[in-house]
Amino acid sequence: MIRLWLKGFFAAHFGRLAAAVVGLALPVALLGSLGAFVVASSESMARRAVASLPADWQVLLVPGADAATVIDAIGNAARYENLQSAGYADTEGFSAITGGTTQTTGPGKVLGLETDYRQLFPGQLELNLGSWDGVLIAAQTAANLHVAPGDTVTIRLVGGSPVDVRIAGVVALPNADSMFQAIGVSRNIAPQAPPDNVLLMPMSEWRTVFAQQASARPDTVRTQIHVRLDHAVLPPDPSAAFVQAQRAANNFEARVAGSAALADNLAARLDAVRADSLYARVLFLFLGIPGVILALLVTLAVASSGSERRRREQALLRLRGASLLQLLRLAAIEAAAVAGLGTVIGLLLAVVVALTWWRLQNLGLVMPWLVLVVAVGLGFGIAASLVPAWMDATGTSIAAARAEMDRPVPSLWQRLYLDVVILGAGGVVFWMVARTGYEIVLAPEGIAQTSVHYEAFLAPLCFWIGGGLLWLRLSRWALGRGQGAVAVLLTPLSANLGPIIVASLSRQQRRMARGVALVALAFAFATATAIFNSTYNAQSRVDAELTNGADVTLTGTTSHPASELLTELRAIPGVAAAEPMMHRFAYVGADLQDMFGINPTMIGKLTTISNAYFANHDAGKSLALLAETPDGVLVSQETVDDFQLQPGDRLNLRLQNASDNQYHVVPFKFIGVVREFPTAPKDSFLVANADYIAKQAGSDASEVVLLRTSGDAEAVAADARKLAVKRGGTKVTTLGETQALISSSLTAVDLRGLTALELGFAVLMIAGVTGLVLALGLSERRRSFTILSALGATPRQLGAFLWSEGLIIVVGGAVMGIAVGFGIAYALVTLLSGVFDPPPETLTVPWLYVTVALATALLCGSIAIAGTLTLSKKPDLEALRGG
Amino acid sequence: MPDILVEGKEVTRRFSQGGSDIYALQPASFEIRAGDRIALLGRSGSGKSTLLHLIAGLDTPTGGLLRWPALGPHDALRPGFVGIVFQAPSLIPTLNVVENIEVPLRIAGNISSPQTRALAALESLGLADITDKVPDELSGGQAQRVALARAIALKPRLILADEPTGQLDQSIARQTVDALLNSLEGSDAALLVATHDPSAARRMKTTWLMDHGRLQLTAMAEST
Repeated sequence: MIRLWLKGFFAAHFGRLAAAVVGLALPVALLGSLGAFVVASSESMARRAVASLPADWQVLLVPGADAATVIDAIGNAARYENLQSAGYADTEGFSAITGGTTQTTGPGKVLGLETDYRQLFPGQLELNLGSWDGVLIAAQTAANLHVAPGDTVTIRLVGGSPVDVRIAGVVALPNADSMFQAIGVSRNIAPQAPPDNVLLMPMSEWRTVFAQQASARPDTVRTQIHVRLDHAVLPPDPSAAFVQAQRAANNFEARVAGSAALADNLAARLDAVRADSLYARVLFLFLGIPGVILALLVTLAVASSGSERRRREQALLRLRGASLLQLLRLAAIEAAAVAGLGTVIGLLLAVVVALTWWRLQNLGLVMPWLVLVVAVGLGFGIAASLVPAWMDATGTSIAAARAEMDRPVPSLWQRLYLDVVILGAGGVVFWMVARTGYEIVLAPEGIAQTSVHYEAFLAPLCFWIGGGLLWLRLSRWALGRGQGAVAVLLTPLSANLGPIIVASLSRQQRRMARGVALVALAFAFATATAIFNSTYNAQSRVDAELTNGADVTLTGTTSHPASELLTELRAIPGVAAAEPMMHRFAYVGADLQDMFGINPTMIGKLTTISNAYFANHDAGKSLALLAETPDGVLVSQETVDDFQLQPGDRLNLRLQNASDNQYHVVPFKFIGVVREFPTAPKDSFLVANADYIAKQAGSDASEVVLLRTSGDAEAVAADARKLAVKRGGTKVTTLGETQALISSSLTAVDLRGLTALELGFAVLMIAGVTGLVLALGLSERRRSFTILSALGATPRQLGAFLWSEGLIIVVGGAVMGIAVGFGIAYALVTLLSGVFDPPPETLTVPWLYVTVALATALLCGSIAIAGTLTLSKKPDLEALRGG
Repeated sequence: MPDILVEGKEVTRRFSQGGSDIYALQPASFEIRAGDRIALLGRSGSGKSTLLHLIAGLDTPTGGLLRWPALGPHDALRPGFVGIVFQAPSLIPTLNVVENIEVPLRIAGNISSPQTRALAALESLGLADITDKVPDELSGGQAQRVALARAIALKPRLILADEPTGQLDQSIARQTVDALLNSLEGSDAALLVATHDPSAARRMKTTWLMDHGRLQLTAMAEST
């Protein structure tokens, strides 16, 4: 009997059931996909972060310790892939004679590395000039000494005779911070800056050169063992991987106590990644959960829209003797069928997205999440269909429907102004969080678990809930007390039917308000997500631009300045602008800092100069002041603090002069604080006028050239590379390459997939809410439209009823939703400021997407209305015959 | 002679179902003149509603000729010339009683004060005390009388009532027919009532019989 009933039921209500199945499959798919994204992104973040780590462990041997014993201990504590000794020797400094002058540096370090070190620990060294075979010099040291490959450098040993070496190549040390970190010192001590002067020698030569110094001053010659561990044994979850890495390190430290000390780069990197992973989870909560809730509400709306049909069928079954239990059993079977089918389809979609879009390598990682999703899908799917059926069967909803036709009594929350209270509370929480620059994600030092300050979620949560209730209040108010104004607004559509239409809509104000709130929720979700994602992408670009400098950047050296190519570079097709920028070094006291010489009036045309780069939050003012002050200099906050500088103070820097390659004092005037600058390092640096530096240093050569492109940056870069190769010693980098390379922060998390999924889903939801819900709502009242048609209403008059309802729901919902979406996006960007580096100054609004969303709503609403209108034009005579 | 409001010659309504034709109305010829009071008697499914829908212009004949000589073309019949009371509950659930009656008045577009006119129609049927109620709050008899008020509010020249008392108990049904006839007293509007209730039919001057789609015109000249 049940099979017969189900067969007939599915045949008769295929469209509605299909809509219910799709309505459930979508949130299930979204929930599953989002969960898979969090897992996949955490796993890929951890994998990428540890893959780019040159040395996982740096083990410092205590003088006299047995290296073989320590290596055994390493093997017992953890599985490793590569392991090699590296020598670290202190020197009194280096000197070189070039161009008839002698340059001398302060104390430096000489590293001894095996010849295959760079292959076993890729990323530790990058060759800028010359050859790998022989003694290498760090780029900054080469600039100080004014040497190039082929030149001779003298090493002043500690307590020994000077040694001359011939330079084979100039290298960059991208991981200098970890390579030269102080090992075995307390974490509370401030990190040690890497040395300014570094030479690297083949291990055999290093041993020979420093043999005597090692005997005389063993404290100045040390050996480290660099280890690359087997990453395959690490769990994919960053937090679990961190714990495992730290335990292995503890085990090793316990084994070698007294004979070696460990710098655990792997745990340090995973420590940062687990915080980023939590940020990904936070993003999921902030951006994904409202979408899932919206989808579930749409499912509810679809399920409840069949109540009239269900009541009729239940009445018929009761007339034929069916008991309440039998009715509920049939409803349960219908609900189970819809829930089962919807959940399975949604789950399959989520798995497809996880495997193809997120490129999840091991589906087993998301299995617990998928089980949860199945439980939610089945539970919600059954409840969404069964509860209304139970209410209908027990008559609850008939009473509710009658109550709806009465003059509606405000709900308790309305009388208590709960919406205003919640919004106010959200505002206060937001103000408190934003004011204190609260970090949502915390990864305290030395604690194995990172934590999220979930209370910061209160503000957006309040905005969503309060906004939703406010939409309901405003909609009901407009159709209640404000119905006169609504009638006036609808006059162009409704002509003399206006009062009747508004009266009809007013009696459906609960249903209408729910419709408006659903559309508003869909628009708020779409707008907030789109604005957040656009701002995120824009900031990711700013981040890359900050690192790379411009669309295309040429970086040379003092001996091979990129500015020599300026004329040819400007002639490359697709180059909109090309400007040189000096990258020199200057001593501030004893501290050697990067110094950038710019043309303040031109730099803004080449690259983004954000207000956030300056302490006064005004890039225009800072650059204008620099342009007005020829000897002006912008310095970092750290330098201001260290030297107690006040604006207008004279600051004597030592710059290398081209005439004698010696450092000479040059007076500057401190005019402001710079926090970040294109191509500048994260720590201290200086920005001054290029003309002044050129005059004082006797050279107008610029090491860097920034290019802004008007077309394909990669094509411009390819042409620039041809020029650079011909001349040698100049590196060409593009914004795109840099954007792909930045992998140290959350902005490296590829949100494109998530963005596409969410934005596509948001449009789908808007289409669903405006089209499906409107169509189902209208189809429920098709009988009313049939009556109107039978009474003689023309298609235009019939249309007035339909379009009025559609416009109120779509336009009212869109306006309220977009407005709240902006507010929520602002709150999200402010609260998640930790994601951005540098923080955005304004929201980036994707107007095209907002327009597409609006057009989708209008189109789907129009299709729903036009469909109902077409069906209602010809009266359904059968409907007029019997009840 | 009173005006001929409706004239049908060999009017047929045929439906196709499963490849075969079903005649809901066999070729039928008839006339309705101003002032006629006609009962269309027949069992359920005999074709009464089909004939009424054709005469109201809601449906189109598949054969024969159907004209409205004194009323105009079929797309100008409603609202105005023809008022209809349907078999099923036909009030719009989201409008109250007076607004339901206003609907055809506003659709017609040329009524200066639709609300006053609607209230007058309700008054004439003794329904002045339920103007603010919505259909869900009305009894079956009240709802049918409101539908009747809606049909007569525009003072149509032809009123078609499809089983107006079919779902009512006897006393309410009698009151409803009384109300209908009283409202037309002194008017030259024609009335065609489809019913399967012989007692209701006896109160009309003329009775048409409908059986399996065949229409028989029989003047019974009965009165209460």
